[in-house]
Amino acid sequence: MMEVCGSSNVTLREFGCEQSLLSRPDGSASFIQGDTSVMAGVYGPAEVKVSKEIYDRATLEVLIQPKVGLPSVRERSQEQCVRETCEASLLLSLHPRSSLTLILQVLHDDGSLLSCFLNAACMALMDAGLPMSCLFCGVTCAIDADGQIITDPTAAQEKQSRALMTFAIDSTEHRVMMSSTKGSFSVYELQQCIAVSQKASEKIFQFYRDSVRRRYSKTL
Amino acid sequence: VHPPCFVQPRTAEPLEYHRSFLKENCRSDGRELSEFRATTLNIGSISTADGSALVKVGNTTVICGIKAELTNTTVETPGKGYIVPNVDLPPLCSSRFRPGPPGEQAQAASQFIADVIESSEVIQTEDLCIERGKLCWVLYCDIMCLDYDGNVLDACIIALLAALKNTKLPEVIINTETSTPEVNLEKKQSLHIHKHPVGASFCVFDDSILIVDPTSEEESLSTAQLTVVTDEEGQLCSLHKPGGTSLPGEKLQECISRATTRQREIQKLVDKVINSVKTAQ
Amino acid sequence: MKDTPLCNCERDFLLKAIEEKKRLDGRQTYDYRKIKITFGTDYGCCFVDLGKTRVMAQVSCELVAPKDNRPNEGIMFFNVELSPMASPAFEQGRQSELSVKLNRQLERCLRNSKCIDTESLCVVSGEKVWQIRVDVHMLNHDGNLMDAVSIAAITALCHFRRPDVGIQGDEVTVYSPEERDPIPLSIYHMPISVSFSFFQEGTYLLVDPCEREERVMDGLLMIAMNKHREICSIQSSGGIMLLKEQVMRCSKIASVKVSEITELINKALENDKKARKAGGRCGFAESMPQERITALKKDKTAVEMTDVSERANEIVQKAEALPQTVPSPVVPVPGVGQVGQGPQNTWGLDEEEDEEDSDEEQEEQVTKMEEEHSENKEESRGGEVVEISDSEEEEVVILHPEKPDRTPKNTGSTSHQKVAASSKKRTKK
Repeated sequence: MMEVCGSSNVTLREFGCEQSLLSRPDGSASFIQGDTSVMAGVYGPAEVKVSKEIYDRATLEVLIQPKVGLPSVRERSQEQCVRETCEASLLLSLHPRSSLTLILQVLHDDGSLLSCFLNAACMALMDAGLPMSCLFCGVTCAIDADGQIITDPTAAQEKQSRALMTFAIDSTEHRVMMSSTKGSFSVYELQQCIAVSQKASEKIFQFYRDSVRRRYSKTL
Repeated sequence: VHPPCFVQPRTAEPLEYHRSFLKENCRSDGRELSEFRATTLNIGSISTADGSALVKVGNTTVICGIKAELTNTTVETPGKGYIVPNVDLPPLCSSRFRPGPPGEQAQAASQFIADVIESSEVIQTEDLCIERGKLCWVLYCDIMCLDYDGNVLDACIIALLAALKNTKLPEVIINTETSTPEVNLEKKQSLHIHKHPVGASFCVFDDSILIVDPTSEEESLSTAQLTVVTDEEGQLCSLHKPGGTSLPGEKLQECISRATTRQREIQKLVDKVINSVKTAQ
Repeated sequence: MKDTPLCNCERDFLLKAIEEKKRLDGRQTYDYRKIKITFGTDYGCCFVDLGKTRVMAQVSCELVAPKDNRPNEGIMFFNVELSPMASPAFEQGRQSELSVKLNRQLERCLRNSKCIDTESLCVVSGEKVWQIRVDVHMLNHDGNLMDAVSIAAITALCHFRRPDVGIQGDEVTVYSPEERDPIPLSIYHMPISVSFSFFQEGTYLLVDPCEREERVMDGLLMIAMNKHREICSIQSSGGIMLLKEQVMRCSKIASVKVSEITELINKALENDKKARKAGGRCGFAESMPQERITALKKDKTAVEMTDVSERANEIVQKAEALPQTVPSPVVPVPGVGQVGQGPQNTWGLDEEEDEEDSDEEQEEQVTKMEEEHSENKEESRGGEVVEISDSEEEEVVILHPEKPDRTPKNTGSTSHQKVAASSKKRTKK
């Protein structure tokens, strides 16, 4: 029960981000984790369709565009996860009766796609300058056949894994905002993965901070 | 349980109305925070289906029908059959759903059920294969909500599990001369259920209060929802929290404990109901 | 979401500038914006930047049955996706006029020009052929989408490799890239579309219009041509009349532009081939500009694992012990069971909840269940009574007041109680 995960696998692949790379959206970002890359664009706050109007807050729409073909049921469920996470961190009540649209385009899927969606979404929301109560990041953990934890798995590692979990962690208290799992696992494994994700989230938040610092370094 | 002496008007201030109950550790329908509504299960409700079950969790009513069909195996998985779940939330179950193609909630629920089937291995798809690379069973699990009063995911999983346990498949022999399948309707066999996944759904009120088995009103007022699915061995099959306010690991642990008890409760119910039919025959 | 409209001042300004042979971004009339071609990690994935316009093309393949009238030809499928990311005016899942136009033009440009050898895509005649699918996603719309789409699509097709197949008897095996090297498509020529926009009834002409210019133009001429100066398609839209000389002039300009672009594509393909051969990493991650201050990269980092398992242990152990027993379910009739004391289904049960004596309530329910059971039996025997649900009891009394044979059929002890219960209800009403 007490086997400690091999440290070699508990790494985050190299990751990178570019903000404001598209001219049309109000905020845009591309996020890269290893070979997995996602591009995000945000429009808003803007005029909202009457049918989607909410009287006390902004309506957030999230669209996930797969690389090949049209969005399927799987994308719908990922959209739901990303949307509800963003809704919890955005201060939507500051823009009542308006619309926000977040579009996520898959550029390459090499594992940990959902966490990459979350990271790209957060960076794009930051770039759009939308008011948020906290930042969030996504971390994917896989448990392989020997019970070892692998963070930020590649597509091949995901395929071999026994269980796969993706968490969204908030920046203020490092709690779990979103959780989506596949495969079966024990309670202890879950808690371990949550703890690992919380540790990994610190690295990503530090990266957010560094990239924002770099970005505004010249305007000071 | 002591209900509060003063409550806010329900229609004007729904959130305050519920808060005044939660302050006293009870809920507007008289339940405790961690109490489920009465769960009623009826199996074999649809005589034309190969397996079916009707589940009521309080007012939420869900019916599941299973249709088995013979089909060719796919190229990628020659030794496996497959299961196609579909959750339908028609306008008849609640005014929040519109007619037309399935909405986001219905699609997300279908995907969730498909994930639970795959993660829990309730049925091993190898069992559905009749001849490797040629013929297999496909199980269409159509789950329809008849009355929506919150916590539809839990009801769906119970309905699915009971319906699968109720399903009987006829024996299929492949005629060696004509190489066409022959179905022997006389000889029917139950499916082999490997695991018994059962879900428990929770709502978070005001970022901290956890309540179990929310009604639709509670769902719409809550700040986060989550569903925990466990099997009889205490393994987790799914921890599905699509977003909302954040929770620490300790709170999640509470949910898991409650879900484990719920699993035992429901498995007992399902087994007893299935047995009652067997003994009655 | 609607697009922001262009105001009259802007419109006049733009037209005035064009009259004076000036463009917003300082280009000359016949200048293209800067074209940048990059490739993704997979084969057949290509990004094209045309100024600020950005598109991505991805080619994929699948084994399918061929069309009946062409049993030994592969199938080409094009899909131009106007993603809402590119412009707020684009809507998800709706076929707009523009998307139909782009799709049609791309099909003409690449399928009808027979630039790809579809016969080489046949695996088993009449049974299995490759379907090559080209998905083009718009990422940023800053005018002249068509040219960017056509460059991206043809470059992606040139870059794409399909898996090798082997045929033994009637079995087709698809080899993975590790087993056998994937095969490139055979492409005869590369048609590229060049767009010309016309202003003031065709008096002024601009190559590669940007989004602002597209909004004030009167007409558009798209010429698809290959480097051998063969025209593959000409399409004029916007309803302007063009003179023969104008079209000739455009085709001459197009031939120059096409040869430039073809060279650029070939160079990009070669560079990518070299990079892949050298074993270096390639893909979107590598094409990210490092020098920009909006971009940042971080190397592979290890996650500290100190006290992770301790923390997990602590939480698991702190959790409450599970109760040893769980409530036993009630099974009133075979096939029906109930568990839990929480609120019941209110389908006609609401009056029971008012009952003060819980014992009586329980009993009554059992009675009802029993009654239901007998009803069920009744149904299966006679088939005249249609009431199955336990909740309809009252209504049965109201709807069918004369049912003499109902009460006697119940067993003595329960019928008494039932009559009492229902009479109580009626008095309440």
